[in-house]
Amino acid sequence: MSITPVQRPGKAAPWLNLGPRVRISSLLASTLPALISVGVLIALQADFMAVLITFFLPLQLLAGALAGFFSYGRKGIMDGLLLVTTFFFASFVLVLLVSVIWSVVQSGFAALSPQFIFQNNRYITGKTGLEIGGVGHAILGSVSIVGLTTLVAVPLGVFTAVYLTETRDGARGLIRTLLQAMSGLPSVVAGLFIYSMLIVSGFTTRVGIAGSLALIPLMLPTIARVAEEALRLVPVELRNGALALGAPSYKAFFMVTLPAAQSGIITAVLLGVARVIGETAPLILTTLIANETNVNLFEGGMATLPTYIYNYISLGDQTSLQRAWGAALVLLLFVGVLFLLARVVAGGGVKRSRKKKEK
Amino acid sequence: MSLQSPTIQRVKLRNKPSRTADKVFFGVARAAGYSSIVIVVAILFFLSIRAWPAFEQQGILDFTFGSGWDTTTTPPTLHIGAMLWGSFLIAGIGVAFAIPMAISIAYFIEFLAPKSIAKTATVIIDLLAAIPSVVIGLWGLGVFSPTGAGWAQMINQSLGFIPIFQNESGTFLRSPFIAGIVIAVMIVPIIASITREIFSQMDKEVINGAMALGGTRESILRKVILPTSAGGILGGILLALGRAMGETVAIFFVLNLSYDEVNWLNILEPQGGAIASLILSKFGEATNDEISALLAAGVVLFIFTLIINAVASYIVAKAQPWRKA
Repeated sequence: MSITPVQRPGKAAPWLNLGPRVRISSLLASTLPALISVGVLIALQADFMAVLITFFLPLQLLAGALAGFFSYGRKGIMDGLLLVTTFFFASFVLVLLVSVIWSVVQSGFAALSPQFIFQNNRYITGKTGLEIGGVGHAILGSVSIVGLTTLVAVPLGVFTAVYLTETRDGARGLIRTLLQAMSGLPSVVAGLFIYSMLIVSGFTTRVGIAGSLALIPLMLPTIARVAEEALRLVPVELRNGALALGAPSYKAFFMVTLPAAQSGIITAVLLGVARVIGETAPLILTTLIANETNVNLFEGGMATLPTYIYNYISLGDQTSLQRAWGAALVLLLFVGVLFLLARVVAGGGVKRSRKKKEK
Repeated sequence: MSLQSPTIQRVKLRNKPSRTADKVFFGVARAAGYSSIVIVVAILFFLSIRAWPAFEQQGILDFTFGSGWDTTTTPPTLHIGAMLWGSFLIAGIGVAFAIPMAISIAYFIEFLAPKSIAKTATVIIDLLAAIPSVVIGLWGLGVFSPTGAGWAQMINQSLGFIPIFQNESGTFLRSPFIAGIVIAVMIVPIIASITREIFSQMDKEVINGAMALGGTRESILRKVILPTSAGGILGGILLALGRAMGETVAIFFVLNLSYDEVNWLNILEPQGGAIASLILSKFGEATNDEISALLAAGVVLFIFTLIINAVASYIVAKAQPWRKA
């Protein structure tokens, strides 16, 4: 005879069985104030924000408190108030976010067209129509400036993470603190730094490579921090196993630890790129804005997507603002794709390691 | 037959790398680690030597806390007191707006929402953190400013008898109030993600225990959740404050910089300041004296953010002892 474990009955959650009084009062509390406010809004033709703040919010608070009182007695009043305030603030954030993204998508799409993506901005002034000219040169400039930064900052950041996780050196605490400090570095100061070091001294003029260098202190801490987390997640047993089999430390790292931390490292790189691709201030200070395609990092000005947006906002004409919105959409797409890739890579890594554990 | 004892080759155990390749490997790692020391020292060093003429000409205290920006006098008056106060004012307004929103959304994600919604909301918050500041600035200029001016006017009409809500200029655009809300949009995700992380690492047993003792949502939040996580939230707020102080482009588009007069608390007046925006606005046609002064402004900004960030990361580390490296 085998003992079958007692199954937990499906309805063994008495706290989820809400009585009709609770259901009805919460239903009324969540719909009535909104309906009444819409009615008032239509009847009085008043300003939306005014009605929201002076009428809907007090009414909703009252309704929440009443619903709490009818459901749970006196101690339910504060609960109702808390829920109403929480939902109000949380939806306020959501509204702001949707407003940002919606306005970029809406106004950006108006400017978007094939030539807007591929053409550069030669012969374009603030008033030229949207039929010609685009952000092609800015995309190329962003890719080359951020690309060079990535080439320098990724090895530097990953090896910094190696230093922080694989060695027992005494300066790790100090370096961790400095990385923290660098991650709070205002981006405009990073631009001023390169400006004072290279451009005032006359080593170089305001060219692409100065912009690349200015982005390094902004990218390095992100990569180092995320890569450190990734390396730390690799079990010590793996590392020690490789060392016990006689592998030298560098082989143990490159053949065991690094592959195990692969997805985390890729996430680090993607997040680092997403962090700097929208940086504006350091590039304005260190790289001249150009209207022509230029991929030579050592000579001549260069446009990037963020400085392009900045430039066209500053011009202030109607069409130039439209161009700025279009470029903002392109930039946001870049950031979004990088960000989603990072999530997919990181999520995939987690799933894979979990499957391994289940086996 | 005798057993032949195998000769064991003795290997000396070392705690230092012995092979050349290992030495190179650890050498590279150490060099990379030390590079951040080099970068931070270089930032301080080069900014300071280029900024020194301005400090010397204006006097460190006058430069930092005095007001006025005039290149026509000799020597030019280049003081950033108004900008420094403006930075703090705007960051303060931003943080004041961001705190309730961020804590609400963190509480919603951790304790109220079903799992799938919570996951989506987390992604959305992270995505909001990734929006470049120039895009937020464009949104602030083109979309939010008119709405925000409407709000400001409403506040002014209903609460105008309170001195800080007074407005004598007649326009409500480009005020610290609007810049503060734009900044709030940028720092909500920072505070929210730190708060959410701290909420999620709380001991669930304690909360269940409080609930079993008859606690309500509100009393658990007030007496259990907030006291345990207060330190971490405070650290997150300070980190956000540091970010807000250093924000450049977004503020530049939505704020009217006034160099001569400190706008102490009139948050609805269209005059304010921000060090980072000052650097951006004066950089284009700056004289040599001004360049030095702008670099000095950068030094002041860097030092203030450094202090704020150091305090913040100390508090966050204290509040999360389990994250000890």
